[in-house]
Amino acid sequence: MLRELINRISDPILSFPLATIAFYLMLKHYKTVGTKKFAYWSLAILTPVTIWFLSDPNFFSIIKTPDNIPIIILLVLVGFLTWFTIYRMAENDTRIEAGLGPLEATPENREKVWSWPNLVYSELFAIIGCTAFLIVWAIIFKAPLEEPANPTWAPNPAKAPWYFLGLQEMLVYFDPWMAGVVLPGLIVAGLIAVPYIDTNPKGNGYFTFKERALAITAFLYGWLVLWVYLIIVGVFLRGPNWTFYGPFEFWDLHKVVASFNVNLSEIIWIKMLNVGLPKNLILREIFGIVLFLAYITLIPGWAAKATKYGRKLIQDMGSIRYYIFMFLFLMMMTLPIKMILRWLFSLKYIVALPEWELNL
Amino acid sequence: MSENKEPGMAYSMPKMHKIMAILSFIFFITTMWVFLDDYIRPWKAIQVEALQIKRRHTEELVKAAAKEIDAKKLAELQSQLKKGEEIVVGRKQGIDKANDQLKEVLKKIKAQNIQNGILNADVAAVNFQYESAAASHDHKLSEKKLQELTRLKNQFVTGKDNLKAYQAEEKEVHAKLDELNKEVLETEKQIKDITMKLNLLEMAKKQTDINPIFALRNMPFLDYLDPTIKVRQIVINNVTDDRYFRQVPKVDRCITCHTFIDQPGYEKEKNPFKTHPKLDLMVSLDSPHPMKQTGCTSCHGGEGHRVNDFNSAAHVPNDEKQEKEWIAKYDWKEPHHISSPMLKLSQTEAGCVKCHSGVELIKGATVLNEGRMAIEKYGCYACHKIQGWGEDKRKPGPSLLKIASKVDKEWFKSWVWEPRSFNKHSKMPAFFRQSNNSEPHFVRLNMAEVNAMAEYIWDKSKPYAPSDKFQAGNAENGKKIISEVGCLGCHGVDGLEDQSNKIKGYAGPWLTGLGSKVSPDWLVTWLKKPNHYQEDTIMPSLRLTDKEANDIATYLLSLRNKSFEGLKFAPFDLKARDELLVDYLSAFDTNASAAAKVAKMADREKTLDLGKRTVGKYGCYSCHNIEGFDGYPPIGPELTKEGSKPITQFGFGIQHDVPHSRDGWLTAHLQNPRRWDIGIDKVFRDIQKMPNFYMNEVEAKKITVALLGQTADIVPLSGVKRYSAGEDLYNKAMKVAGKYNCMGCHQIDGLRGDILRGYADDINQGPPRLVGEGHRIQTDWFYSFLANPGQIRPWLNVRMPTFNLSTEERNILIAGFQQGAKQPTFEEPAQYVQWAPGEKEGAQALWKSYNCVSCHSMGFTKDTPLAPDLHKASVRLRPSWIKKWLTNPQAILPGTTMPAFFGDDGKQPIDPSVFGGDADKQITALTKLVIEFGLKK
Repeated sequence: MLRELINRISDPILSFPLATIAFYLMLKHYKTVGTKKFAYWSLAILTPVTIWFLSDPNFFSIIKTPDNIPIIILLVLVGFLTWFTIYRMAENDTRIEAGLGPLEATPENREKVWSWPNLVYSELFAIIGCTAFLIVWAIIFKAPLEEPANPTWAPNPAKAPWYFLGLQEMLVYFDPWMAGVVLPGLIVAGLIAVPYIDTNPKGNGYFTFKERALAITAFLYGWLVLWVYLIIVGVFLRGPNWTFYGPFEFWDLHKVVASFNVNLSEIIWIKMLNVGLPKNLILREIFGIVLFLAYITLIPGWAAKATKYGRKLIQDMGSIRYYIFMFLFLMMMTLPIKMILRWLFSLKYIVALPEWELNL
Repeated sequence: MSENKEPGMAYSMPKMHKIMAILSFIFFITTMWVFLDDYIRPWKAIQVEALQIKRRHTEELVKAAAKEIDAKKLAELQSQLKKGEEIVVGRKQGIDKANDQLKEVLKKIKAQNIQNGILNADVAAVNFQYESAAASHDHKLSEKKLQELTRLKNQFVTGKDNLKAYQAEEKEVHAKLDELNKEVLETEKQIKDITMKLNLLEMAKKQTDINPIFALRNMPFLDYLDPTIKVRQIVINNVTDDRYFRQVPKVDRCITCHTFIDQPGYEKEKNPFKTHPKLDLMVSLDSPHPMKQTGCTSCHGGEGHRVNDFNSAAHVPNDEKQEKEWIAKYDWKEPHHISSPMLKLSQTEAGCVKCHSGVELIKGATVLNEGRMAIEKYGCYACHKIQGWGEDKRKPGPSLLKIASKVDKEWFKSWVWEPRSFNKHSKMPAFFRQSNNSEPHFVRLNMAEVNAMAEYIWDKSKPYAPSDKFQAGNAENGKKIISEVGCLGCHGVDGLEDQSNKIKGYAGPWLTGLGSKVSPDWLVTWLKKPNHYQEDTIMPSLRLTDKEANDIATYLLSLRNKSFEGLKFAPFDLKARDELLVDYLSAFDTNASAAAKVAKMADREKTLDLGKRTVGKYGCYSCHNIEGFDGYPPIGPELTKEGSKPITQFGFGIQHDVPHSRDGWLTAHLQNPRRWDIGIDKVFRDIQKMPNFYMNEVEAKKITVALLGQTADIVPLSGVKRYSAGEDLYNKAMKVAGKYNCMGCHQIDGLRGDILRGYADDINQGPPRLVGEGHRIQTDWFYSFLANPGQIRPWLNVRMPTFNLSTEERNILIAGFQQGAKQPTFEEPAQYVQWAPGEKEGAQALWKSYNCVSCHSMGFTKDTPLAPDLHKASVRLRPSWIKKWLTNPQAILPGTTMPAFFGDDGKQPIDPSVFGGDADKQITALTKLVIEFGLKK
């Protein structure tokens, strides 16, 4: 019964909004989350829940595959490090509010030490320790090799390496060209651009949330919800035919999920206007094109003028940084927007130009 | 942070060193672990065990060899040796002197060899200098060099001469030494002769020692040099593995663990140490399939190159018991990632097919052959193309071109509806009343289909009138004739169940209920002249007299199926007919438009249209000749590459109890082809149509083996069994023999001869076995015999029928038999009879003394003949065969009544007084005599 419920909730249609809400709550109440008490309680609840999850044969069979071990390590590490960051941020923000300044700025923490041996020696420890760990891992869990590759007989499900599964999950919602080239390209370009866009000097050398709320929120949303969460979905919840399977569901090869998607142009021209599709490609897709251009151009301009926060932002950053930031941010947000549009309207593409291999 | 830290330090140094020490130690351990993990392989343990087994075996052999040695003689020789040594000691001075001499001369030889070598090199070098000087016309230099060259050459000649002299001297000294040591050397040689086998075995035993050298050679790090424990492999260029985009030579490493597979003597060991059970046919060096040329996985399948562990080779257990055993022992897992896992042991014969293609039956492949015969029996090949074996075969069902004059239409419909309710042995499969079409709404449509088919077939049926009239005869006599004359080679018959079940003739239908099926006149005509009704039938004429034919017919007509008689099939549901037609037409049309089209058709047109579509839908035309279906491809999918079809392409439906493997699916499918529809919602036109043959599991498993052999594996030409022109002809002839079911009666070269199972008491009462038949018979005789068989063995009740063979088929049979026996086309008997003086008299004496006429009485006495007429021998038989036959008839036909007069080896003379007791001369003379009987005529 409970398992059935969890199976249902895990479907991205529900779990993605839930993840977003959880993310929002986590940051809103970061001072509560960032306490040791919260951590202990979470551990006390999560441990039995995890054991209960593992007791399910279907879930266990997914977990135990050697390919999935890195993701489990990733989950534990991401969970701990996120909490740890929030804990330090909460601690500092409380001190800053009290006028004490961050913990890292106390005199005993400002003392300077030699990088050799303090830093270099510790790095050597890390190198040796990691190598030993990787060797043991490689011996105990053999490389999960399958049959010799057969070009006429692909395995089902055909999954990318675990770290690319977030990208593969994006393929559900985007054209391969977008999900495989444009968006990853923007991720890399955006990450490179971060130090040039983010000129906020606050938070250098110490943890704080309050002084860098926008930067942290924007980055963590992209990282936790749009990347890590999608990897979890891709690894644990996508089975044969890339169909959704709940964590306790048997991966039945024959499971079929109804899905038939329609382009925006088809919705507007045929369903709403009740006329045929125009022959001219641009005219056919004009609504999508206009909508997308408006999304990219009008929102930043409007925000800079009409909202208090936008005005402050453009003032702090300067207009070029502001518009680049907004472009990157809006492009990032196309993913959740597209997901929601897909679930609500079975929308296939906003701009569908397969003739030019251009689909949005 | 530590308290006792120095300034500028975040951590305490000694503590950091401690951490470093611990980490380094862990790192060291893991590194060792890597090497150990790489070193410890399951196959190494197996090879060590094999070494111990080999040691045990060698020890036993050593013991046996030691026993063989005559201890007394050995002791004698040893004491002799001692004595000899004493004698030799007395000659010590002479021996020492000779040894010194030998040393001296050996030194000289060595020195001379060095000198000659230097001279040889000098000659070559100066020769070059001289020639190049001469070529550049430098006369002065060339003159000088020529002198030098001449000098060197002379020195070289002298050196060689010296060497010869020294070598002669060495020989002399050796001879002298041998002479001095004579007593010792001779005895030593005698001892060695006795103990040689033992010594060799002990050397072999020594090789199985586990000593420091063994440990050193197989030590980690050093074992790349020359290990004794190593992966052993066979690389076969004749058979390749498909590595996608590229065929690579097969690499089989099976012998890494199956260590003694090619060595006799290990039959009783447990696996993997067992000897191959069929060493005479497989694996061993002098078998037709030597390991080094054929490999292992070429036949067995599986991943021959992988030796990681038991599972990686894709071993497959033969049955559930073995599966359980393997799971417990090896943690066995189903190799579902492997496209061609190993064949189960009971299915290994499937591996023969990929190399032995284009041949009917493969000698030694019993299960495969039985599977193919079952395919032949049920006519699978008619609907499913099977290339390389099943093509160009006749349609297995009777022609329906004149069916209206053979059976009643009502009978026909009831028969089609459920053949087994009329004939429980029927080979006609059931299309209706199956698990997927027994629901009332499907039954209604099926019945309309049967009605429409009957209408169509009757509409196309041509008129036919039997040529003979039935006259009631003696049923008992008819039954007797059936049991004796040879009908049972092809047919099972009601009332003769015991015999029929023993013989298992399958080419023709089981005869039952004929009184309720055909008209008496039709039956008599069919028995007398089968091709009067169906031109291309394989049913032969047994040259029955009118009385015989009527007696048989009387018996067969007395077999009735009362419950079937007067059975009325359901009336034609015209509404159902129209529904079906609309369904057909709506495939490319809207429902309304299809309905309109159907409504416009005339009533008869609708019936015939549906009839034809239904015949096409179920593929009746694949097995039966039906007008209107010329050029239609067979209804079923091709099975040529069934054994390589990916498991994902088999539809298992929701049949979870069927093993998820190729063979599991095939066996289940053959037993009930409609099972995959169970629990699946389908519309009428989509349900499975493969009919049910009600096969039992045994038959289904045999057919599965035959089908598993049909793989897509590409075998290079060098690996395929290639037939010579002669073998090809033989295979073709066997195909013709298969078509007419010759082997239902005759056993040809050891294969089949079904009817002989009915003559277990006296095999000589059955049809003759044909062994190397091409050597036995004369070409012209065979040609006319096939067209018009005459009596050869009057004591036989079984008859050679007159087959409806074409001239081409007759010629193929003749040529094939000849090539099978490697014989020339003609052998002239007249030329053979050239009597030497006195030879004929001798032959006649032998003829009399062995009283040949007591059996071969025909034309000689009035006794009942027990053997063929020898006056016809020259026409029928080849002289060389008669000679071979006389030499030892039992070697050709074991159990024949013809005695082996000349002993088992054909070398014992029957009368020592004739030809000085030379058996060969006697046989030759008798052969000439026998041939002459025919020539006189």
